[in-house]
Amino acid sequence: MRKILYILVPLVLTFFLVITAALPQSGSEIQEVRARNTPEKSQINKVHDDPAVLNNSNLKCKTCHTSEYPTPKDPGLTDCPRENLVSVYQSPKEGPESVAIVEMSDKYTGVIFPHRVHAEMSEMSTGCAGCHHYNTSGPILNCRNCHEKSRNREDVSVPDLKAAFHRQCMSCHKQWSGENGCNSICHKRKDITKDNITSTNISKTHPELPEPGKITWETNSNINKTVTFFHDEHIKLFKIKCTSCHTSESCIRCHTPKVQSDLNKPVKIEKSIEEHHKPCINCHYGNKCTKCHSDKEMSPFDHGKTSGWVLSTYHKDLLCSGCHGNQMPYRKLGTKCVSCHRDFAAEFDHKLKGFTFSEAHSELECANCHVGKDFTKNPVCSDCHDDKSFPGDIPGEKPGK
Amino acid sequence: MRNLNRRNFLKTAAIGISAGALGTSSIKASDKSLSEDRIGILVDTDVCVGCRHCEWACRTAHEFPACDLEEYSDISVFEKYRRPDNTSLTVINQFENEKNPLLPIYVKVQCMHCEKPACVSACIVGALTKLEDGSVVWDDSKCIGCRYCMVACQFQIPTYDYDKAIDPHIWKCDLCRDRRIRDKLPACVEICPNEALVFGKRSEVLSIARKRIKRKPDVYVEHIYGENEIGGTSWMYIAGKSFDKLKMPPLGKETAPGISEAIQHGIFSYFVPPVALFALLGTLMWVNKHKRGESDTEIESTDPDKEESEF
Repeated sequence: MRKILYILVPLVLTFFLVITAALPQSGSEIQEVRARNTPEKSQINKVHDDPAVLNNSNLKCKTCHTSEYPTPKDPGLTDCPRENLVSVYQSPKEGPESVAIVEMSDKYTGVIFPHRVHAEMSEMSTGCAGCHHYNTSGPILNCRNCHEKSRNREDVSVPDLKAAFHRQCMSCHKQWSGENGCNSICHKRKDITKDNITSTNISKTHPELPEPGKITWETNSNINKTVTFFHDEHIKLFKIKCTSCHTSESCIRCHTPKVQSDLNKPVKIEKSIEEHHKPCINCHYGNKCTKCHSDKEMSPFDHGKTSGWVLSTYHKDLLCSGCHGNQMPYRKLGTKCVSCHRDFAAEFDHKLKGFTFSEAHSELECANCHVGKDFTKNPVCSDCHDDKSFPGDIPGEKPGK
Repeated sequence: MRNLNRRNFLKTAAIGISAGALGTSSIKASDKSLSEDRIGILVDTDVCVGCRHCEWACRTAHEFPACDLEEYSDISVFEKYRRPDNTSLTVINQFENEKNPLLPIYVKVQCMHCEKPACVSACIVGALTKLEDGSVVWDDSKCIGCRYCMVACQFQIPTYDYDKAIDPHIWKCDLCRDRRIRDKLPACVEICPNEALVFGKRSEVLSIARKRIKRKPDVYVEHIYGENEIGGTSWMYIAGKSFDKLKMPPLGKETAPGISEAIQHGIFSYFVPPVALFALLGTLMWVNKHKRGESDTEIESTDPDKEESEF
């Protein structure tokens, strides 16, 4: 009897413990917390799944979270992650035309900052992130959101508002004008002007940049002297963004500082061989020299001539890398549809050709009409029908009929 | 002066000594009891644009004659290297920037407010004091114009009213003591458009400097000038160029007053060595006198002529 008790009592106890642990009681609290936070969850995912966050290798959990185990309830976020995170991009036209900066000293008037012209100029350099640094995936923040107004403050690691404004403006403007003063473009002294605000350059925009078509260079080399670069092709045909090559353009790249009369005269900048090749090499890494260097001027790119396969209808608008991969030189492909579209037949929707199959035709195999599965040639109807031929006749109905 | 009789003199001397022993808010140069929250100012030469507004603000705050602020944008002053003088306690100098010739490097010069200031150590009347908050200030009423501080300073900062025949003064940056009493920032820090001067606790400012260097290793050289130079200074600098090329004197970690004070203060510490010396001399004299006294009596007894001469 005692032996049975020795076995039974622990058994019952363990059973009881297991039951209590398995009961949803303890879990319900967590579920409740989760339920409470569901509206924020989309926000969390929005930040975590943002390409700017995913592709930034510098980012670690600790970049944004201070706590060891961040939870949705208590994420322990740092005030400012100090990593370039801007993923919200606005075109210059979407942003404000001008911004009024009125937090000014007693000595100077406020300033109207022509935002649009600066946004336009930044397109080929740092982009929005140049000024709106450390912006998370949320709305675009302005300077006032992070920079405190008072200079006499507790946390001096982040510059105050006055410094934030000036630091953005002065490094370029000083290079541009060579001046050290403050009244030429932005500020006016209150005792000189009646205006409350200095509005130089208001609603000014940058004149449209001339887009070059073909550029040719003559090198010093004895063989393959000429380099032809089709600028227009790279934009229109290859759909490369301006910013993938023009990464850090500045005013002084085109305009000589100080000499205002020469504003429209581009400046010739001497570059080293490495610098000259850099914009091309980024993509054309695996190509031979003769890809660009030739003994005579090159003719424009023609997919039909180069590969013997003319790009038509659906293929015209595709990106090169979509079929040929990202590696240069590009992977060569066969001319048959199935060489790319492996399960082409099973997937192809004939609606794209402008008809739906009639019941009789829908059961047929591809090869019944497309002889030898060669989809580049017209299908053959004569195997079954004596008097029919494509495209005059179609094996079904046109939609909408 | 008439009231300063012997009794009063002893009284004041006694009070003075006891006050010195107890210690006031001022401390001697070799003392380590500086406040944890003492002031530090970081000069970020990468951010400074050389507008010279700090020069104007400094002059105005110290009631020196200053021309219009707009005239300070004149860049021709940078043609020659300048030092602070008795009319401007801070100046900006321009240096070439090899990385970008269009953006020269600007370096502000003023009293560094050393952690262990040589000037305080050298001052023979105690007119200069290192305060607990880190600033080095001076008292005009005590200064006798010996200019020892000018010789002692390794940054050659204190200046003198050589042009004044009557009541000349020593001048140097006092970290705007009057303004700080009214809870205001030093004038130069307040006016700087780019906040190239970061004013805070020395420990915090140091960590900000370290972070900036770490974040932009291609911009800054890995050296915080003033962190350890002659035992550390209140003003510290970070720059994109080696500091000896920015005319900052290359100095070691050893404090200037360290050795000299060790000897001087050793000699006079707690007045023991002088007292001992005088005691020794006194004993010698006493011993000598006694010896002479003994021999005198011997002579007295053997020389009858002397007795005669007394009469």
